[in-house]
Amino acid sequence: MTQTLDASQRVADLGTSQSTSQAIKAAASTEAATTDKLAIFTITFGIAFAILYTQFERLNWPFFTYHPAVGKIDFWMQAQRSGEGPPMYWYGWLALSFPGAAILGWIATLLSPRALQRTTIFTCTLAVLWSVIYAVGIYMDERTSFDTDLVKTIGWVSGIPALAGAGALSYFVPIQWVERLWTRWVLIMPIWGLIILGYSLKSYFMR
Amino acid sequence: MDAITEFIGSSIFWQILLFLHFMMAVTLLAAVTLQTAAILMPMPQPAGNLAGGFIERIRSAPSQWYVFAIVVLYLPTFLLGAWVYVKYRTYVRIPMEQIAHWKTVGSFEFKEHIVSMGVALLPAYWYFWRQPLVPEHATMRKWVTLFLAVSVWYAFLVGHTANDFRGVGS
Repeated sequence: MTQTLDASQRVADLGTSQSTSQAIKAAASTEAATTDKLAIFTITFGIAFAILYTQFERLNWPFFTYHPAVGKIDFWMQAQRSGEGPPMYWYGWLALSFPGAAILGWIATLLSPRALQRTTIFTCTLAVLWSVIYAVGIYMDERTSFDTDLVKTIGWVSGIPALAGAGALSYFVPIQWVERLWTRWVLIMPIWGLIILGYSLKSYFMR
Repeated sequence: MDAITEFIGSSIFWQILLFLHFMMAVTLLAAVTLQTAAILMPMPQPAGNLAGGFIERIRSAPSQWYVFAIVVLYLPTFLLGAWVYVKYRTYVRIPMEQIAHWKTVGSFEFKEHIVSMGVALLPAYWYFWRQPLVPEHATMRKWVTLFLAVSVWYAFLVGHTANDFRGVGS
């Protein structure tokens, strides 16, 4: 009887030690991902590119404007000029987004794992909240009887509640969640960016 | 480049580039589709020991076989597409707008966004598939691969539609 109890205890101990070792292994894997500079660079690059590209496209901030009909390149954003054909901005957005994301990826490798994860959740939630608050503002503005265009003219103001929300989230969200979310932002942010960019193209599909 | 266009003609030159872009896109499409199939419907038995048919062999193939091909193909296909895009903007899009093919124009605009996001995900994709595979990254491996597959399929179909409007053989 005593031997049976001892055996049960040993089996229970084994189960506990297995689950503990799995938890340690999972934590070690997350830790390895955040300390491995290659992982930090590649994941941060993907996240940063999605945010920067969406931002540059929406604000129309190309590094340069290419006029393909005349083979001319202008610095920054240049509107279409008479006799020069249509301007192309896409190359200019890429020319800013790729190096920008690479620089941010490199900076991320210099941060501690905790700082990196907190900074990532702050930046990503800021990008999501800001665009949501701005979109809600635009939606409400379009449905008011006054043609004020208030939200469009003070668009930066919608960043204030987004900043507060992102700050609160990044401070209060438990570190385990922050760790678990870190790699997932690399997929969440491009999808979010594509939703914004896709919505901005709705005029092509509603004519 | 001027010497080449003088020798073979500008139109032929751009058609060759577009055809190369198409061929690379088809190869990339095959690789990314096969990898996605292998991820979504995995077979427990390795390909070498299987006497089953073509589909079974695809499903049982180790997914990492495709990683190198996808990275190596995605980038030049993207770059070649970016080059051909110059011709699209002047030679294809303007007539499209003139006859009000707005949905095609809008779909092509979205193509430039989705392939940009896809190319920027390649480093992370490569990292997630690096050997030895980390079990904790299994979910991200699957979803990032799926994202790339969607981007390639979307780009292929929209590119093909634009080509049918005004391109090789249209």
